[in-house]
Amino acid sequence: MILYKIIIIFTLLFSFLHAESEYELGSGVQVGSLPFYVGGYFSVDYKNMDDYERYRVDDLAFLGYGSYSKFSYLVEFEYKELYVKTDNHGVKDTEKDTKLYTERVYLDYNLDENYMFRIGKYNSPIGFWNLLPVNVLRETTSNPMSSYIIFPKFTTGVSASYTNYKEGEFKIDLMLQNNDDIDNEYNNYQLDKHYGFGLSYEKDEYTYKLNSGYFHSIHDVNEDDLYYFLLSAKYETDNYQIQAEIGTQRTDTYFTTKYAGYLQGVYRFTQEHIGVVRLESYDNQFLGVSDDMAIVAYTYRPLYPIAIKSEYQFHTLHQENQFLFSFSVLF
Amino acid sequence: MKIILLFLILSLLCINSSFADDYVIVSNKNMKELSLSQVKAIFLKKLTFVSDVKVVPINLGLRDELRLKFEKKVLRMNFSRLKTYWTTQHYLGHRPPVSMKSQESIKAFVKKVDGSIGYIQAVYVDDDLKIIYKWSD
Repeated sequence: MILYKIIIIFTLLFSFLHAESEYELGSGVQVGSLPFYVGGYFSVDYKNMDDYERYRVDDLAFLGYGSYSKFSYLVEFEYKELYVKTDNHGVKDTEKDTKLYTERVYLDYNLDENYMFRIGKYNSPIGFWNLLPVNVLRETTSNPMSSYIIFPKFTTGVSASYTNYKEGEFKIDLMLQNNDDIDNEYNNYQLDKHYGFGLSYEKDEYTYKLNSGYFHSIHDVNEDDLYYFLLSAKYETDNYQIQAEIGTQRTDTYFTTKYAGYLQGVYRFTQEHIGVVRLESYDNQFLGVSDDMAIVAYTYRPLYPIAIKSEYQFHTLHQENQFLFSFSVLF
Repeated sequence: MKIILLFLILSLLCINSSFADDYVIVSNKNMKELSLSQVKAIFLKKLTFVSDVKVVPINLGLRDELRLKFEKKVLRMNFSRLKTYWTTQHYLGHRPPVSMKSQESIKAFVKKVDGSIGYIQAVYVDDDLKIIYKWSD
């Protein structure tokens, strides 16, 4: 397992050393004339709270993908929290995690213009945020709570989708997992079952999504059988975007998360300068924590694949107020 | 006589200028009818097969005036937003359409290759091409 990851990473690095002269940042490179493109991303960030500071190399990831005839594939390996230095009430600590995690590995088959099948480990196609979860692509350094306390971020199994393009784009997604995760350390829930479905409709500037499902957690501290439901909506023009998601999670007997949601506005002053305001709220009854927050963020993108972000979070749990700064690149 | 000649010249100029402002999305004759939503999905690489044939969308060069018109009218996205879109698609494992330098190249390619689709000025259309969609400035 480790050997093939190392071979792939060397292939990726070798490919970049021989990249064509017209290489453009954020678009990867093709390996020779093969149906194989390679790329990756990294991010470093800084967090400051009362009596707490953290410097972190958060992501260093390599990805490879391609397509041939009706098949396409993608592999992605990642160092997560490669280096973390903290100062907690004057107690300094440094941690390094040099394990290479399997983030995504899947094979797609396009049956025809409507049906697509996938097998492997993939981002669960739930909501908007979960489909572009890496720092450089999202609008803020932080993720909204609803993107990681309601549903499993990754699914290992099969999926099927049906898409129809008439007046707009209508899509149905099905997810099925009935086995262990390919790399269960790299998921927000350790699970061995996930059955989910999604409906989405996109027309002009509007997109609506609905997701629901069941998963079985194998982690001792969570409830076993969990059900989730998420509604998402987005309005996007060239200059601004308004996006909202709200979800809930429950067991057979009670709501583990009564609700978690956000409303986010993004305004592109220019191609390089972007302002973001996000209002969030959640009530996690399993942990007995609820919070409301307002996040004000500014992102500078000298080129789109390079993001320099800063944000400040105001919480009703005042001890959670924090400043975040990050630098991330997609290559 | 002079007046008639002047009228004819002006009429021809009018016809020519109206062609110059008409644009078409074209494929070869084997392509089935496509909705505007399908064309958009093809150029965003969401739709990769039509009637079991792999579709090959073809763009003009990055800053070509006709390409910008096409992106505004059909994709309804500006240059910056499309740049963002294709960067995120790289993370998802999808490549942008190939580009060709001229409308003549697109026309020649589309005639030869089943599933290929491109956009050109209406004045370049001939009987070997199928018009999928037409728009004006």
